[in-house]
Amino acid sequence: MNTHQPVNIVMVEDDEGHARLIEKNIRRAGISNDIRHFTDGNSALDYLYNSPDGPALNGPALILLDLNLPDMSGTDILIRIKAEGSPLRRTPVIVLTTTDDKVEIQRCYDLGANVYITKPVDYESFATAIRQLGLFLSVIQVPVIEPDA
Amino acid sequence: MIGSAVAAGWTVMRTQEHARWVEHTYEVEQRIGSLRVMVERLEVARRGYLLSQRPVSKQTFVQTVATEPALIADLRRLTVDNPSQQARIAIAERLTAEQFHLQAASILLAGRDPAAAITQFGLDSSLHLTRQLRIVTGAMEAEENKLLVLRIAAQRQSVRQLFAILAVFGALAIAVAVVSISVLRRYTGSLVEARDAERAMGAELEDRVRARTYELSRANDEIQRFAYIVSHDLRSPLVNVMGFTGELEAAAKPLAALIERVEAEAPHLMDADAATAAREDLPESIGFIRTSTQKMDRLINAILRLSREGKRVINPEPIDLVEMIEMIVASLQHRLDETGTTVTIERPMPPLVADRLAVEQMLSNLIENAVKYLQPGRPGQINLSARTVRNRVAIDVADNGRGIDPRDHDRIFDLFRRSGQQDQPGEGIGLAHVRASAYRLGGLIDCRSALGEGATFTLALPAHPVTSQG
Repeated sequence: MNTHQPVNIVMVEDDEGHARLIEKNIRRAGISNDIRHFTDGNSALDYLYNSPDGPALNGPALILLDLNLPDMSGTDILIRIKAEGSPLRRTPVIVLTTTDDKVEIQRCYDLGANVYITKPVDYESFATAIRQLGLFLSVIQVPVIEPDA
Repeated sequence: MIGSAVAAGWTVMRTQEHARWVEHTYEVEQRIGSLRVMVERLEVARRGYLLSQRPVSKQTFVQTVATEPALIADLRRLTVDNPSQQARIAIAERLTAEQFHLQAASILLAGRDPAAAITQFGLDSSLHLTRQLRIVTGAMEAEENKLLVLRIAAQRQSVRQLFAILAVFGALAIAVAVVSISVLRRYTGSLVEARDAERAMGAELEDRVRARTYELSRANDEIQRFAYIVSHDLRSPLVNVMGFTGELEAAAKPLAALIERVEAEAPHLMDADAATAAREDLPESIGFIRTSTQKMDRLINAILRLSREGKRVINPEPIDLVEMIEMIVASLQHRLDETGTTVTIERPMPPLVADRLAVEQMLSNLIENAVKYLQPGRPGQINLSARTVRNRVAIDVADNGRGIDPRDHDRIFDLFRRSGQQDQPGEGIGLAHVRASAYRLGGLIDCRSALGEGATFTLALPAHPVTSQG
């Protein structure tokens, strides 16, 4: 990832277990970036846009987004992030969810999701997928966010 | 009606009879008139001859006399039924004969001595005879007139009768017409009522069917949504169970290694319980958790697939069944060769318009089952055929495998239910899926089988897609 400024990983995931498993496997892939975890949509949005150390105001970020959240749908967050004029519209969003519904996948890409990954139930595949995602994260370039953009 | 018609006919005949009698009377009267004219004419002719001795008068006399016998004969014949007239005719005949005699003598005398003849004329009884003849013929005429009056009256009577009968007949006809019209009207009225009632019933039935279809499709949608949400939401915790089981397994490994090391390097620290836990209990528990969660995952996936299949848009297209079945059989060739199973495809197969994917999945499931559940020790034989039954295409998948207990024929189509010996892998999903798809396409699936005697699954699909679908 970008060397001059650490990239924060923002994980929006309502299931603590999933969050823990994702984090563990990302770490196993050798990714040591900061991971901020939020279990609901509102606090995640608040952090993304308003927190002084959040991505909108401070530094590049990469968002891991689950679609099933208790207070809103993940797609609502996706719409907000990718909306015209949003400071975060270039921020990569990786949708990581249990849904493998074709329509849902299409909708997420239409809304501007950068990657869509279905969580495999089988743990080996799950762990492998997350580790591969970690490897992928280690090579992707994340755009620098200009707060006035 | 018939009675009055017969009566009318009879009366008409009687009227005709009366008319004939009236006519007859007129004829008789005419003859009587002729007779009277003849009498007068003879007298006139004689007198004329007496006065003028012109031969024409004598000739007229002779000619007129000649008509007498025929006239009398006619009268006799015509009045043969009337004795009084017959008597009068006899009198008239006698009188005329006498008269002729006198007149003839008088004419002959006039030829020789006219003066003597005139004198003789004043003396003879011819005037008296003529008067008598007038009386007789007058009586005859009176008789006939009397008869005529009677007969005309009779005729009028019968005509009146005829009119009365015709009036009755007419009244009857009108009554019959009125009755038949009212019966007809009542009949058509009840027909119209019945038709209206039927229409109303049909409309009501249609409404009910529509309402029921709507309810059903709503219930179906609800079930679909429910299945989707449940299966989806069940997946999430399952990821955790499996994930942390994996973590546990991973964590158990260094623990087991530590136990090994302790046993090797410091046996006095060795605890039998800890050793069993690390070597046996932990791996065993983890193994059970893992197989159970895997099974649960497969079941959830099956529900999800079913609900997804239910939501899929059906796209009917013409299907070549033979080609499709050949493809399915080809994809199973490896297993067929392994088990020595032969497959017969009966050609040709009727055309079918349906959703290709759904039909292919259903047939694959049925054929795979046929290959899967063979009777041990008997080489498998699978026969595939299709026929048109009214507006449906019935596809038979018949095998000689182990068969299905008739008690289980309904059960096997239920989700997660299986029948017979559980020696083959499977979750009891295939046939449930086949039935759901068949229903969705407006078709039916049916099983005929006995234990140990093979099974025939019949998939009956509409030859053309049903227009209304829930």
